[in-house]
Amino acid sequence: MEEYVGKLWHRLVTRAAGGHYPEAAVKLKDIDRVAGVFFRALGGDPGLRLAAATADAHGARRSFLSRLAGSDERIPRARMDESTLRLPIMLDVLPERSLNRELYLWLAALAAAQHEQEFAQLDQAARERLRSAHAALFGNEDPAALDAGTLELRHNQLATLCTLLRWPGLQARYQRLLAAVLAVRPDPARLPQVEGERERLICQAMREPGSVRQLPPLPAKGMPHQPVQLWLGAFSASPELILASGQGAEAESNAEFRPDDKEDQRQAHRVERVQDEPEKHGLTLATTIENILSVAEFIKVKRSTDDEPDDNAADAAASMEQLALMRNEERIASKVRFDLDLPSAAEDDVVLGEGIPLPEWDYRKQLLREDHVRLQELRAAASDPRAAPCPLPEPLRRTARHLHRQFAALQPGRRWLKGRVDGTELDVDAVVRAATDRATGQHPSDQLYLSLEKRERDLSCLALADLSLSTDAWISSEARIIDVIRDSLLLFGEALMATGDRFALCGFSSVKRSNVRFHRLKDFEQRFDDSARGRIMAIKPGYYTRLGAAIRHASNILEKQATGRRVLLILSDGKPNDLDLYDGRYGIEDTRVAVIEARSKGIIPFCVTIDREGASYLPHLFGPGGYAVIRDPAELPARLPLFYAQITR
Amino acid sequence: MTSAIPFYQAAGNEIEIFEHAWKNRLPLLIKGPTGCGKTRFVAYMAARLGLPLHTVACHDDLTAADLVGRHLIGDGKTVWCDGPLTRAVREGGICYLDEVVEARKDTTVVLHPLADDRRLLPIDRTGELLEAPPGFMLVVSYNPGYQNLLKGMKPSTRQRFVSLRFDFPRPEQEQAILIGETDCPPDLAKRLVAIASALRALKDRDLEEAASTRLLIYAALLVKDGLDPVEACRVGIIESLTDDIEVAEGLMEVVAATFGR
Repeated sequence: MEEYVGKLWHRLVTRAAGGHYPEAAVKLKDIDRVAGVFFRALGGDPGLRLAAATADAHGARRSFLSRLAGSDERIPRARMDESTLRLPIMLDVLPERSLNRELYLWLAALAAAQHEQEFAQLDQAARERLRSAHAALFGNEDPAALDAGTLELRHNQLATLCTLLRWPGLQARYQRLLAAVLAVRPDPARLPQVEGERERLICQAMREPGSVRQLPPLPAKGMPHQPVQLWLGAFSASPELILASGQGAEAESNAEFRPDDKEDQRQAHRVERVQDEPEKHGLTLATTIENILSVAEFIKVKRSTDDEPDDNAADAAASMEQLALMRNEERIASKVRFDLDLPSAAEDDVVLGEGIPLPEWDYRKQLLREDHVRLQELRAAASDPRAAPCPLPEPLRRTARHLHRQFAALQPGRRWLKGRVDGTELDVDAVVRAATDRATGQHPSDQLYLSLEKRERDLSCLALADLSLSTDAWISSEARIIDVIRDSLLLFGEALMATGDRFALCGFSSVKRSNVRFHRLKDFEQRFDDSARGRIMAIKPGYYTRLGAAIRHASNILEKQATGRRVLLILSDGKPNDLDLYDGRYGIEDTRVAVIEARSKGIIPFCVTIDREGASYLPHLFGPGGYAVIRDPAELPARLPLFYAQITR
Repeated sequence: MTSAIPFYQAAGNEIEIFEHAWKNRLPLLIKGPTGCGKTRFVAYMAARLGLPLHTVACHDDLTAADLVGRHLIGDGKTVWCDGPLTRAVREGGICYLDEVVEARKDTTVVLHPLADDRRLLPIDRTGELLEAPPGFMLVVSYNPGYQNLLKGMKPSTRQRFVSLRFDFPRPEQEQAILIGETDCPPDLAKRLVAIASALRALKDRDLEEAASTRLLIYAALLVKDGLDPVEACRVGIIESLTDDIEVAEGLMEVVAATFGR
């Protein structure tokens, strides 16, 4: 009851405080795809990820009611860093839905505006205009020496100008947004003197971008201005800044932190890089210029997800305003090399047969070592409760239905086959040819009929998934790589069922050369039914990646398929490696030879990887057209079937 | 064959290369994305050199017999009827095989001896062996944009050709093409090209194929005929590029940002 009343009061007083128009709200999740396409089309960096923005404390003056309601203390602001474009999770600051939507798109356009290529697209007059604005704003000052507020003021004016010059069609939209934003900003005349002057200048900067160089400094007790909704809180560093501070190289590692992606509550965190200083212990205070009123504490408690995924970590993170990322000397658990315990015989999957001997290529001796590797075929025990038959998981069903429809179109319908011995219609071409052959004294063919037949695609495909321990890594707080691979296999099966292509699904891992573990999840002869799905649901990560042996075995299976074309599709998350010398060059060279062998058997190998560095070694293994890198692992389940459709069309 | 030379705006030295290949009796392969001007280039070169042009649009059911020819029955006797390739070899001129990778594999049997220095076309049905006259040139084209494991040119075929890569023209050139092709106002051409270059940045990410010059010409023609520019871009460009509603919506925002709505 108390809780209910509390909620009601909160809603009431928040409403009374004003500044929000809930009925006009536009949510990021409703517009993120449109905004993403728009951002990239306008020249935004396609490598940037679109995500929800952090709510930042701004410290600006608030009305009595809004202070009472506790609303707006922290406002999410659009901002950019090297790897992400962050937009507010919801916009309801303008009174009309269409305006809030346009505001999202404007922010996306603004974020796209600061690229050199865009500059090159401008005509001469616009370039001059922009150059003079840049000179007027920055002059010879070193941007690195400016404080964040001034930098924001100048950068946004420049970006606004650039966007409007490059896309003159946005002018009308900008004017509409400007009028709406100005209407909800405080009246300068009612603010204390300096603050009023600052507010007036900010409005001028919005009206005539490029005209305001600096705001007068705040007096000691003054309050900062309201955040400008038309501007970005921060731009990813401009090229000369990146070069100057040498931060460019770090952009990549920044991307590895992925915040909670849960639909509505997804919240983002500001991440701060912290130097790990072993001699200092205890508490470090971290403040940034934007966070004048906030103090975030940094306590040296490391939450490393690799040892044990800690459910509480997500909760703990949600309540923090700022997270600290640290680089230290220790390596993460999965990189440590030690021999792993194999599951006890009772626990393990059923071993099928004695162990299959396979050769391996030793590049140092340039020699194929016969019977060097033993491969075990495994299948989940029928009695294993983890691999019990189960239907397709609910979250995948919608995508599966969609794929069914798409792939049914790929299936060739019935068509007339020419030159048949038997059929329902005469093949006029063939009959004429036979008549001419007879007339010219040659032996005429007896294949004179057309028949309407369902033509199969005459294609078999074996999908081979990497189940090594590296797939145990978390890509978001909900999914590990193995989960993504599992979903991919499930959806891939659904899609191939619709095409009517023959297919098998397999997985592999290895512990040295004596024990390459090859899981047969679905054979060519088996139906893709609930028991096959159950086996896929039961896959678990373990051990290492002896890719060469797995490819050899898979090609031996594929070779027996009596179809015209045979595709070996490999799903991987990294380089081949194993405990013994199967690492680095040795593993790569052996895999390369295995791929070449597969090709010589008439098999078409193709590798889909989520390893971002894949492009550095995959051309060597699979040839220039033989692989694809998917940058965002979460996209793999949906992309893989489409990819298959594309490469086999 | 019309005597008028069709409009063509050169993007580089392709005209010169074509003429060198022609003089030296070398076959030519043109690769490039759809709608970037491959077919128009060949038509232009045929007119420029005053050669007859035999175009064959290849499809997945096109056999060697469709290229070479077949017997027909007429008047109580059989009549041999030349296919387009044979006709081109007999008469001289350019034989242009559009989207050659689509054709059946058995077509390579007739293309190989014709494309290398032998320049021969054997017709097994009639027992003829035609030698291509100096006035004959083989030109093929295909679109390497799609990564496809099953269709592709075999290296042995590919290495019989002089190869030209086509891409979308630079913005100024593309504007000139739009103006030359549709006689539209320069401002419209500029805006359409701006849309196209924005959309081309989305290839392989949000779009399967980049917006072609051909689509821009469609849009320009529609606008010139009185259709609202935003609507013309929707039907002429955006909807032809994607079926995804959200992507289309995002692309329409680019159009709106160009024409100002």
